[in-house]
Amino acid sequence: MNSQQKTALRLGTSHLLLIFFLVLVLVPYLIVVSASLRRGNFAPSGLLPDKVSLEHWKYVLGIPYQEVVNTGTGETRIIKAETPPLLWFWNSIKVAAVASAGIILLSGTAAYAFSRLHFKFKSATLGSLLILQMFPMVLALVAIYVILDFTGQYIHWLGLNTQSGLVMVYLGGISGYIWMIKGYFDTIPASMEESARIDGASQFQTFVQILLPISIPIFAVVFILSFISFMSEYPVASIVLQSRNNWTLAVGANSFLPENQQLWGRFSALAVLSGVPITIMFLVCQKYIVGGLTSGGVKE
Amino acid sequence: MSALIGRLQIRHILVVLLAVPALYLTFILYHSGNLWIGVGLLVVTCLGAFIYLNPSAMTFRYLFPGFLGFGIFVIFPLIYTVYIGFTKYSSQNLLRFDRSVALIHNETFLSPNAASYKYKLYAQDDGNYLLTLEDEKDSTRRFVSDPFELTPGVKPKTEPEPVKLSTWPPGQEVPGKPLEMVQINRGKLLIPMRAQQFALPDETLVALAGLTNFSSRERLWTPNPDGSFTSKKDGTVIRPDFRLGFFVNDKGERVGVGFRTFSGFDNYLRILTDPRIQGPFFRIFLWTVAFSALSVFMTFAVGMLLSVILEQKDLRFRQAYRTLFILPYAVPGLLSILILKGLFNQEFGAVNTLLRGIFGFAPEWNTNPWGARAMILLVNLWLGYPYMMLICTGMLQSIPSAIYEASAIDGSNKIRDFFDLTLPLVLPPMTPIIISAFAFNFNNFNLIYLLTAGGPQMVGGNAGETDLLVTYTYSIAFLDSGTNYGLASAIATLLFILVGFLAWINLRVTAKKVKI
Repeated sequence: MNSQQKTALRLGTSHLLLIFFLVLVLVPYLIVVSASLRRGNFAPSGLLPDKVSLEHWKYVLGIPYQEVVNTGTGETRIIKAETPPLLWFWNSIKVAAVASAGIILLSGTAAYAFSRLHFKFKSATLGSLLILQMFPMVLALVAIYVILDFTGQYIHWLGLNTQSGLVMVYLGGISGYIWMIKGYFDTIPASMEESARIDGASQFQTFVQILLPISIPIFAVVFILSFISFMSEYPVASIVLQSRNNWTLAVGANSFLPENQQLWGRFSALAVLSGVPITIMFLVCQKYIVGGLTSGGVKE
Repeated sequence: MSALIGRLQIRHILVVLLAVPALYLTFILYHSGNLWIGVGLLVVTCLGAFIYLNPSAMTFRYLFPGFLGFGIFVIFPLIYTVYIGFTKYSSQNLLRFDRSVALIHNETFLSPNAASYKYKLYAQDDGNYLLTLEDEKDSTRRFVSDPFELTPGVKPKTEPEPVKLSTWPPGQEVPGKPLEMVQINRGKLLIPMRAQQFALPDETLVALAGLTNFSSRERLWTPNPDGSFTSKKDGTVIRPDFRLGFFVNDKGERVGVGFRTFSGFDNYLRILTDPRIQGPFFRIFLWTVAFSALSVFMTFAVGMLLSVILEQKDLRFRQAYRTLFILPYAVPGLLSILILKGLFNQEFGAVNTLLRGIFGFAPEWNTNPWGARAMILLVNLWLGYPYMMLICTGMLQSIPSAIYEASAIDGSNKIRDFFDLTLPLVLPPMTPIIISAFAFNFNNFNLIYLLTAGGPQMVGGNAGETDLLVTYTYSIAFLDSGTNYGLASAIATLLFILVGFLAWINLRVTAKKVKI
């Protein structure tokens, strides 16, 4: 075998392997698209829907549609979602966007202090932040419930069953992002800020006017990563948000799938409608994210 | 100079804008009896004002907001959970001690020679109600109540506090619309009214007896100075047992509703000794470790394989492949988990439809413990490889190509290169990522809870075969019929120590490379 054949063989097997994996990755999503277009609420199975119907899409968008109740008599009824499920997607976007913005504000300022300023017990504090965050939020639910129940008695909009209360809880999870942003700040030489200080700029001015503008990429990464993790957060949201109108996507999507009556059609339509925009957003910003992941985790 | 003054003023205004509401809230908290929380808020407010006004605290201006959030929503819940782990706090011992005492104090019985009262209910414009009573034998004894709420048709879950009645002087009008018996009945007001007690000015309790009249009730228990209670009916004495979290009588029988109580290491001892907990606990622990280790290994292997294949410079469509392979990471994880749950449905799902069609067999993903475990690992591999692929790609790109050229001269092949050169170079910097991936999977609540909810059930226990420690704890605390916060918190504390230890090791490993 000459080297040209060898290369062809290597590339050929590579493509075969990649396509095999790609089928495994893509087929589940295609099946969900098809399940969202199929009449009835069965578990997703085939690739092509046998009876195409837009009923699930209409349901999710809150558009009324007719359903045949009795095939013998042809009796129909109008079905319309009381709370259009797409509202949950909107709720999720609101909560995740506000919480992510808050995360950037809190972790960005803290990361600045950890990267540029000197204070006692700095590295010990930084380490314990990471260790304490290891306590899973799920297991703190009792305490979180107690806190929100209490604050709700005094500040109505920060209580249980409020989205702002949920945002507050999410703002606690900053330590991973502090590490990530600090890692990025550390790679930026402080010389520019120092010369600005000599020119008479205050510390706050150098932070806002010099460091922040060059750090936009890492803030984009943090925003997207936290946004996506809040979009998927289930346990805390399911305990805090009680009324259907307030639910986030995670709580609503899972509510279609209780043990006894799983509404796969409706779930699929909701999954497609809400999954597609997020996925596109992620893929567009991919380049930044990959850079952020590799630079935040490990720094040589 | 003028810019400086302007900036200072903005800062001052902001501090005032935040401090004034905080001080107001402190006052309200103090006023409503939450002294210590009020003091806490006051301290935090003063600290904040000091930090933002005093130049010497400059550094902490950047740390204060973040630490505040972290303190309230991470550190406080942690301490609270550790504390609950040392108490008896469950569906049986639910109330605070003072609430439990109040319940006993308000327990009443109908005394044989009780006075009987005619009543009238007045609907108020704001939706509340007023009640008037008149003694059937002595029409000068007339009373009017404070306004109170009634939810039609609903018996309150917890016993409401008695509503106060005061003397109703003759000639004074009662506001609101008097209700006829028919209206009361049709408005389903009798149900909540029956659960409501009223207190006369002399502290005697009265309650609805029958449809048309109230009668005075006598408190069943007389408090004694030593904290015990004596029954007026038969003279039984009950006293609180702080070990049990119940009031007990002389025979040791429990009376009334249980209360929370400090229990030391009881919950921890239960984990170690109670066979109903200890058995499942160790099985779940083993599965949790196996699950985390296998997940990390599999995602790393597949992610590495893909990134190595995609690093071949002469491969076409590399960018397109890469984008498509990231998909499971880009789609919100919750949706992916639920989608795969549908595909793995044992009877109707796509996976078994396909396997039945090609190989004629259908694994029991939902009912067989090993099938369920296999499904979980496959799903987690599917969800987790893109992250590893991204990281490995970054690592591979940082390896200088010169070393491969050198080894090519020595006549090495690609596979030997990978194990002899690439892996030894990539593994050390990957260690912290591998450890944190392990810790993440150790507490991967979403995956298990949404995919199997811990099922199938373990034989002869209330745990599931695929439960991780974190979902097991969650079901003890929130889902089980016998909700047990104390035990759940004890397990949560152990879990935290385990994972915290992992994180600490991770820090030590990283600290050797990075100067913190």
